[in-house]
Amino acid sequence: MKRDAQAPCMTGQTGMAHAVMNEIAAHLEKLAGRGEAASIDLRSLPMTDMDREQLEMVLGQGEVSAVIELAGLTEVRETAFSGVWWVRHMGQDEQVAYEEIAITRIPEILKTQLDDIDMASRRIQQVIESSGRNEFEKEASNG
Amino acid sequence: MADHQTLGEVLSSRGISRRVFLKYASYTASLMALPPAASTAIAQGLAKARRQSVIWLSFQECTGCTESITRAHSPSLEDLIFDFISLDYHHTLQSVSGHAAEQARKAAMEENAGNYIVVVDGSVPVKDNGIYSTIAGMTNLQMLEETTSNALAVISVGSCAAFGGIPYANPNPTGAVPISEIVTDKPVINIPGCPPIPEAMTGTISYFLSFGAVPELDHLGRPTAFFGETIHDRCYRRPFYERGMFAKSFDDQGARKGWCLYEVGCKGPVTYNACATLKWNAGVSFPIQSGHGCLGCSEPEFWDRGGFYKPISTGIGDATRLIGGAAVAGAAVGATSAAMMRHRKKKAMQEG
Repeated sequence: MKRDAQAPCMTGQTGMAHAVMNEIAAHLEKLAGRGEAASIDLRSLPMTDMDREQLEMVLGQGEVSAVIELAGLTEVRETAFSGVWWVRHMGQDEQVAYEEIAITRIPEILKTQLDDIDMASRRIQQVIESSGRNEFEKEASNG
Repeated sequence: MADHQTLGEVLSSRGISRRVFLKYASYTASLMALPPAASTAIAQGLAKARRQSVIWLSFQECTGCTESITRAHSPSLEDLIFDFISLDYHHTLQSVSGHAAEQARKAAMEENAGNYIVVVDGSVPVKDNGIYSTIAGMTNLQMLEETTSNALAVISVGSCAAFGGIPYANPNPTGAVPISEIVTDKPVINIPGCPPIPEAMTGTISYFLSFGAVPELDHLGRPTAFFGETIHDRCYRRPFYERGMFAKSFDDQGARKGWCLYEVGCKGPVTYNACATLKWNAGVSFPIQSGHGCLGCSEPEFWDRGGFYKPISTGIGDATRLIGGAAVAGAAVGATSAAMMRHRKKKAMQEG
């Protein structure tokens, strides 16, 4: 994964990681109390590489991680704090295009969209109809 | 690709799920500083939209704007914009030429009457009946008037189309004018810059496709999502400005240490654009990060503001009025200029 090249004075810790942690804590409280999801757009924040590293280290790694291969990779992983997810969208050449902290039960990008379910429902019927019962029996006996 | 299908149906037929809209929408919402909840609305809007017919006209320009949009930040993601639009006419990118090209423009106008978007880069010469730039035997003025007559909206990309740009610079030998001086009966969105940031172009088009409406604009017709703050507002060198630490030349200790470039002519304090946050060349850098002051290319008449290497406070046309007599004297300058900028911003918002 590639990061922005940084000018010399864009390195070092600025305290931004601590500020983001406070924001995450406030959102997490709302998620726990009212079920209100939120997200923090990391790209819009003037964070240095060290700030990000610090934030990643403090948030840690949770139980779930997923990779979506769609118009470039998307990495989704739950941090050590349940309900706090790190979502990283990349384009080609592993260039980070968008990065967010999602405070939610499950990030939207992981959910199957209703229109896709509808499409899949129709497609599976077509597969069943075109394959016929014999094909399935043959598959079962081979298996 | 069948244009009667929605974008969702088109991508489904290629085995691509609607997650791609959500991914693109998250990216677009971030670009446009929209709340995260907006990404779901953008994704739904895009999935239901049909391919948008776009006619791209190039007049007095250098093709830098096209170079910019074809080098967008994250190709596999940004290239989706070319799935979302039907680029029916574009001098540089179309394969046909001559009569066939003009026929394609007319066919797109006819088939999408009242619903197509016209993107224009370049200014239009009007002196001597516009003879200084012609295409297919038509003056730029004739082609613009004909093509926009039945358009839904017009997007002026680049400072030449938005404000006249370099052709408009003194002495303006061709009588160049910006598009907004000619097209007055429909929405005109200005996305200035020399060239504009590619994401500002694709983000604006995506917003239009998703919501079917023009995004919020400032008093110069620019989307506030990209032009709502000055370069200076979001510049990583700003702390040096506030502390009065300035480079005095491009090779002194201050320059080497990355101090503020205000005294060597940076126009960041009076230039509204997103270079400091979106950056250029796949997010690698922007002029100030590379050690050069901002030229102010997304502001009107940037070429005639007295000199790229003169500090704003020494007097550079309009900028002098904007910043007033703020002396280059450390922290006091920061406070004065910041207050005046806030005043200007407030005034601009009231006017807008």
